[in-house]
Amino acid sequence: MPAPTLYSSAAGAATARRVLLRPLRRTLLAGLPTAAPPLQSSANTTARSLTISSTVRPTAATTTQQRPLQPRRRPQPLPQTHSPTPQPALLTQPAARRRAYHSHDHPPPPGPFTPAEQALLSAAYARVPQHGFTAEALALGARDAGLLDISPAVLPDGGVFGLIRWHLYTQRTALAGKVEEIFGSSGGGGRDGGDGGEALGKGQAPLTTVADKVEALAWARLQANEAIVGHWQEALAIMAQPSYVPASLKELALLADEILYLAGDVSVDPSWYTKRASLSAIYAAAELFQTTDQSPGFRETRAFLRRRLDEAAQAGATVRSVGEWLIFNAGAAVNVLRSKGVRI
Amino acid sequence: MDDGDGNVTGDRGRLRGEGRRLVASLESDTTTAALPAQSRRTHTPAPSLNDRTALIVIIFFFLLLLLPKPTTRIANRLLATTTDAEEEKAAHPAQRSFLSSALRVNQAGELAATLIYTAQTPPVVAREPHLRPLMRHMYEQEAGHLRTFEALVARHRVRPTALYPLWSALAAGLGWTTGVMSREAAMACTEAVETEIGGHYNGQIRTLLEMVAGWEAEGYDVGDEFRDLIATLRRIRDEELEHLDHAIEHDAKKAQPHWLLTGIIRAGCRGAIWVSERV
Repeated sequence: MPAPTLYSSAAGAATARRVLLRPLRRTLLAGLPTAAPPLQSSANTTARSLTISSTVRPTAATTTQQRPLQPRRRPQPLPQTHSPTPQPALLTQPAARRRAYHSHDHPPPPGPFTPAEQALLSAAYARVPQHGFTAEALALGARDAGLLDISPAVLPDGGVFGLIRWHLYTQRTALAGKVEEIFGSSGGGGRDGGDGGEALGKGQAPLTTVADKVEALAWARLQANEAIVGHWQEALAIMAQPSYVPASLKELALLADEILYLAGDVSVDPSWYTKRASLSAIYAAAELFQTTDQSPGFRETRAFLRRRLDEAAQAGATVRSVGEWLIFNAGAAVNVLRSKGVRI
Repeated sequence: MDDGDGNVTGDRGRLRGEGRRLVASLESDTTTAALPAQSRRTHTPAPSLNDRTALIVIIFFFLLLLLPKPTTRIANRLLATTTDAEEEKAAHPAQRSFLSSALRVNQAGELAATLIYTAQTPPVVAREPHLRPLMRHMYEQEAGHLRTFEALVARHRVRPTALYPLWSALAAGLGWTTGVMSREAAMACTEAVETEIGGHYNGQIRTLLEMVAGWEAEGYDVGDEFRDLIATLRRIRDEELEHLDHAIEHDAKKAQPHWLLTGIIRAGCRGAIWVSERV
């Protein structure tokens, strides 16, 4: 079958051209004479070629001498030793575009990992419980997948953040498959189960309200951390590095959106934003709590999660009540004035 | 019913005047999207080695852009993350972002329309009670449109507009102001908003028809999802243009100063549409 389809229309071609030109434009701008990039490994240089940076880096000469203040000039660029190569999909595919418009008839867009990355990261992920989110796990995983030990070097920065992101991505997408198990015969145990650490099948009544479903889904996602929770503090430290913060926050936002969608929330007013923001904060706090939780089956984490969700529900109810009161009284005042003949 | 071109249209018998002209423009318009204008760097009088190299690099990339479609396909394959089979069926990311921004701006527009009618009705009807059935009919149609788009936004997991409270306040303010001014001003506001909305929906239907035609030309079966979406947009566009006709029947053109009122409101609508597509 011939190739991608969707350029046969002129509008599609124009938009596709615009979409595809963005990485070319960026590499073009990066190739223009700007500051000299410092000597680095090839993986980092290709990653850097996508950012537009024009800071002048201090060399030995400038730092040792006391130069008077001068206007910045462009230094001579280093000769180009390689041409920009196509980047792995982790870098080229912006997250925002992946998320637009979920279609029920058409298959979803491809995930953020290429098939080669998927093979490597899934094999390395099996090694994480023992070795943590480290280069060791990646090397052993590469060996398990039948690749060379050096293969993870093709991932940006050695692939450690890629491994963390693999964990976040696979656990998030696995929630959709577990929905019946979580809600149906089990599930979260409603609001009165005391022992939260048992397995999911508890034989309780199926969950009906959105709030209960949200709690059940968040708890299921926390349970999925069980294998790697010992290494999760280290992973959080890596995620907190400035270059990884946007991607980490994006994954958190996608998780909150997924949980609320699977729980059946269909509101599309400003509460869409407030619900996702508060659920993201609650989940992040619960996950952090989980890293120090030693209780059997993370019972304390479950209680923590329930307390935070209750607080959020109470705060939401309070704000809603105050808003309703204000709107009602404003409308009543306007109507009273109208009934008195004021022309408003 | 079918018109001569084989397009299935809704019942257009009730559209008159401007409404009919705007609809006809959809069926006959064959403009295609133009290439983005290319800009070239001017040659400096005494280019250094670096500037000349940069110039050659830039010209090389522009030539690359001007190459025909297979080059873009090659570039896409380099960045491809799926097999051919998956990629053929999945919608292109640019099309997905078009669909999501289209649904977002439509929901915002219908929200604004319902709030305009809600705010306009009391002052207008206080002066002219015989307009109550008309205002109620138009309000109920807009409320139905809003429910439709809210359901679509939730179903397709589209992010609603972040400026929802701002649009609510502005729409209520606009409706109340024009309602208090006069009945003609209220009708002129409706005329301006519905003209912009009609053209906006026309553009969306046109783009969706192009997308569907592109898929069908490649031999793929376009599912009900997009056909239903196009039919829904057509129906809603026709109802909006019906409102336009009602507004003109009720002396929208007699508002003073008509050009200023409609100019400001139409410019505001275009700005709000542009912002809602993005934010």
